[in-house]
Amino acid sequence: MSRNDGTINMVIAALGGEGGGVLTNWLIMAAEQSGWWCQSTSLAGVAQRTGATIYYLEFMPRQSDMPPPVMSLFPAQGDIDIAVASEIAEAGRMISRGFISPDKSVLIASDHRVFGITEKSATGDGSVDRDLILEMGERYGRAFIHFDMSEIVQRHGTVISAALLGAIAGSGALPFEQSCFRDLLSSGGSAGANLSAFDESFRQAQSGGVGEYVPPDIKAFSLPVASNALGERWLPRIADLPAGLQEMAYHSVNRLIDYQDEAYAEEWLSRVSALIDRDLDRESCSLAHEAGRHLALWMAFEDIPRVAQLKVRPDRESMIRSEVKAAAGQPVKVAEFFHPRIEEVAALLPVSWGSALLKSQTAKRWLSRLLGPRTLRTDRVSMQVLLRGLASVRRFRRSTFGYAHERKMIDRWYDAVLSADEHDMAMAIAALGGMVKGYGETRYRTTSRLMQILDYVEHSPDSDSSAITALQIAAMEPESNFEPGRAVSSSPEPA
Amino acid sequence: MAERSFTEEVKKLRAGEGEVFKGEGILAITKALLQSGVSYVGGYQGSPISHLMDVLNDAQDILGDLGVHFEANGSEATAAAMLSASINYPLRGAVTWKSTVGTNVASDALSNLASSGVTGGAMVIVGEDYGEGSSIMQERSYAFAMKAQMWLLDPRPNLPSIVDMVGKGFELSEASNTPIFYMMRIRGCHVTGEFIARDNVAPEYHSQAPVTPNREPEKIILPPFVYQQEREKIAERLPAAIRFIEEHALNEIFPGRYDSVGIITCGGSYNTVIRALQRQGLADVYGETDIPIYCLNVAYPLIPNELVQFCASKEQVLVLEEGQPEYIEQGIQTVLRRQDVQTRVYGKDIMPMAGEYTGQVMLEGITRFISEASREDIPLKLSLEVVLGTETPVSDEDISRLMAELPPRPAGLCTGCPERPLFSAIKQLQEEMGPFHISSDIGCHSFATAAPFNLGNTIMGYGLSLASSSGMRHALPHKAISIMGDGGFWHNGLTSGVTSAVFNEHDGLLIVIDNGYSAATGGQDIPSLVEPNLIATTLDSSQPKRDSWQTIEDACRGAGVKWIRTVSTYNIAAMKETLRSALTTDAPGLKVVVAEGECMLNRQRRVKPLIRQAVSEGRRVERARFYIDPETCTGDHGCIRLSGCPSLTIRENPDPLRSDPVSYVDNSCVGCGVCGTNAHSAVLCPSFSRVELVDNPTAWDRMLNATRVRVREWWRVRDRKRMAKRQF
Repeated sequence: MSRNDGTINMVIAALGGEGGGVLTNWLIMAAEQSGWWCQSTSLAGVAQRTGATIYYLEFMPRQSDMPPPVMSLFPAQGDIDIAVASEIAEAGRMISRGFISPDKSVLIASDHRVFGITEKSATGDGSVDRDLILEMGERYGRAFIHFDMSEIVQRHGTVISAALLGAIAGSGALPFEQSCFRDLLSSGGSAGANLSAFDESFRQAQSGGVGEYVPPDIKAFSLPVASNALGERWLPRIADLPAGLQEMAYHSVNRLIDYQDEAYAEEWLSRVSALIDRDLDRESCSLAHEAGRHLALWMAFEDIPRVAQLKVRPDRESMIRSEVKAAAGQPVKVAEFFHPRIEEVAALLPVSWGSALLKSQTAKRWLSRLLGPRTLRTDRVSMQVLLRGLASVRRFRRSTFGYAHERKMIDRWYDAVLSADEHDMAMAIAALGGMVKGYGETRYRTTSRLMQILDYVEHSPDSDSSAITALQIAAMEPESNFEPGRAVSSSPEPA
Repeated sequence: MAERSFTEEVKKLRAGEGEVFKGEGILAITKALLQSGVSYVGGYQGSPISHLMDVLNDAQDILGDLGVHFEANGSEATAAAMLSASINYPLRGAVTWKSTVGTNVASDALSNLASSGVTGGAMVIVGEDYGEGSSIMQERSYAFAMKAQMWLLDPRPNLPSIVDMVGKGFELSEASNTPIFYMMRIRGCHVTGEFIARDNVAPEYHSQAPVTPNREPEKIILPPFVYQQEREKIAERLPAAIRFIEEHALNEIFPGRYDSVGIITCGGSYNTVIRALQRQGLADVYGETDIPIYCLNVAYPLIPNELVQFCASKEQVLVLEEGQPEYIEQGIQTVLRRQDVQTRVYGKDIMPMAGEYTGQVMLEGITRFISEASREDIPLKLSLEVVLGTETPVSDEDISRLMAELPPRPAGLCTGCPERPLFSAIKQLQEEMGPFHISSDIGCHSFATAAPFNLGNTIMGYGLSLASSSGMRHALPHKAISIMGDGGFWHNGLTSGVTSAVFNEHDGLLIVIDNGYSAATGGQDIPSLVEPNLIATTLDSSQPKRDSWQTIEDACRGAGVKWIRTVSTYNIAAMKETLRSALTTDAPGLKVVVAEGECMLNRQRRVKPLIRQAVSEGRRVERARFYIDPETCTGDHGCIRLSGCPSLTIRENPDPLRSDPVSYVDNSCVGCGVCGTNAHSAVLCPSFSRVELVDNPTAWDRMLNATRVRVREWWRVRDRKRMAKRQF
């Protein structure tokens, strides 16, 4: 690794607040204890978090008869021996900046993701393609050692710098003894956690980061064996569907029975059957799959009874406890942030009452005093009773104003899918079902934009699937004024 | 209480003669100042020299023992004015700031100082914030050195050179009666290394040994002395400086065997030059070079004799000078033309005019120089083609695929930052009232101009937001809105902004963000900092608690502001209402909203040890963090668009029917409550919960909990049985 005529050059890319400075100090000390020169410098930026930070180090053996070497302060393309990234997209950034040379650079990275703000704030899925970066790392690195160090340090209760040090040591890219690195970690409050994270990371890196190869779980979905009367009724019917639809249908039917009743699931199935007959893609039934999935999700729309039902699920408490790392027996309080609006209350009323309420200023004024932001302690028995009461309202759901309103939109979308005369067109309209998202204003925005697009489709007989997809992308941009070319009919009221 | 504590490192400042001192460049400079018998130090924080201020702050007792006076100045202008102590007396003084912004702020005092001239050595350590990692507009401090006639030192970035040049700099300043810029680049500030220390030297004059007051009218900047001073600069000070620089060999010549070519570089770029030569097989790692190098550790003034001497025997030289315009190259050309030296000078004709001279730029430049100069006799390891190829080994196609997948990572507000709820409130208000034009300022809050808030139109300088809105306010559809941090307020905003706005009957809104510290530069204390246990309201309460010290509110009232409200930033609903009323009120004059909330980084540093201690002592402690129900989250990420908190992120949707990721709160959550408040005030969704963990529960806690657990368990068993029938 080491070149006789020069230095070992190392660049570290980390995110603000991840301890890149601490890691750099450990490396300096390791070099010192091994009788090497080490010069480091950094672009740590300011105190704020989330920005990318760069550290640069050069190492060289000390020779008693020679003066201190002249070391560079810049990482340079074609001159990097070791590149370390605390997150996989940052490894990608180093590749893109040309720091990874196929003949020279060992790339060491934790391959977990820390999402950037643009990935997080997209209304749908804006996250980047991790596999692409992994593939490039393999191709451009002289060696590419990567594994999920974030998972390791979370398990050991420490920070990523300890695992990175383990990976650097284990990679053998620096000619220092393992004990020399370990000794650095063996003092201080979190020595135990640091050392175990270091050791595990060291081992993984030594085996090239591959560790034990666990093939991904890609076994095909198979329907379970019926264990109750419900299963005996439904499983054979699902089994009759084309193979590619069975998994989706299994989840959808279960969801709709849970949401309403068997008749509701029956309704879904008959609609999906119509889609199957209509599907030109006989092989995988892509239209029935896409439209059926969105149909099930939309039919199980989140109204007050549904939210209440989900909030009192038997498994929810243990999920929260494990997520916040509560100790066994430790009291945990859960305060939920609800903000019921007039619209949601109206949605629960019979159709005529609901529309009357939304029209009556007096009723709205009086009711609004009872509504608005509420923080409810759902670990309390009283709130559990309230939520269970609200959840049970679902048996009257079909007669409510909210249901009628949603139903109208669902039907309109479904009919548009069914009546499209080309497969691509039907697929594009089916995909619009994915726009239905959120609550309150967001929900109003997404559904009304969906209706606007359907209006547009109706009024523009020559529009094609790519135009619809483009409209969908534009509609998912939350902070824009959305106007699909043509004048549109009145947008629906919020539910 | 700054972001980083140097308590351990400053012990090194006591190192005596012959000890090996190891550490960062910034720490080495501090040590060098003490070794030089400095009498007073000051400055204003800002990267890359924030740590210098932090080190000085943490080294108060060492400074005190020596009798060195330290001030954390209110602004760079204050710091520059401090140097007037060196005009009449042989007091050595040093101040520091971020340049060029700080130099701009300080320029009035600096110009006058440079005109008066100094008796004691006066040094301004400028952190040249240029190139990658910089946070300001890109300019050079060099221009100021030339126009005010201050000398500019740019030493080689290794600790012995850095330390040596501090001492030499003071001597040069005194020998030429001229104040000096000592320039440190970003990477040089943070470079680590070692040098052999010398004993610290106590200043000759201090509180126990005062000077005898001494008036020298000819040093006052009034006519007729100013004309004499201008003549003196050229007739006496410049020649004295040149003489000193030559005699003490501040610039270095490194000979090489290809004697008919040469490289002239600034000291700060020397290491990069050596690396480039080394990669071309023209130097070794110890700096032995085949191409002669003239290294300008003093970048201004140029030394004509040395230049002529270096160039006379050379056919071609390459001038390596970062940034634009190419002042040094022009200066060199002038010197050589006047002396009729016919050496061909290469510079910005083959080097990039703008930007940093990185390793790759330097390698390309030197390679191009050798080929342009047609020096086939000089063997190169790498041809120009190969060098250009090393810029990136990645194919164009891969680059474009990769660039499409790499998320930008702009610096953003920290987890739990008190400024986040303020911007959430403004964003919500903007949705109601229509688009805002906002005059922004320097500070953490500058990041609100980026995603996800996208709030703010212009940034004119530190504390200048209110001033910068004054030309706009008559032409806006809404009252002018300016946002300023507490740091900017005390630095400049009170005078340039508030006082001027009141005087001009500015009917607009100023939001001053009061987080207790100069947070963006590393959490340094500022005038409105209060005792830590009383500091600005944060999560603990929605009401401001401050009433008994010098506050931003008092300062504004003193300047004549009538309409002032102080609101906790975490109370989004109250903030929205207050801002709405400020923007709609008929009350004349400036409306000031002080948005209070302690810097969360500082708060965590302060509170974490207290919580740990309380838990270990068995006291009852509640810790909160937030949780998002993956079952009710529909993956629209409206919460993230209103927040951008690092702990509010996304993860794979557990729902087999959904594909878009759900929002997720990771374990770095500090429980600031903004998620919940946003869910309420923006009517987002019912997925957010605040989960409180009780440590060391009391008997009552345990009893209550046990009862609840029992009831819920009964339900759970019943529900599981029912669900088993309703699912298959």
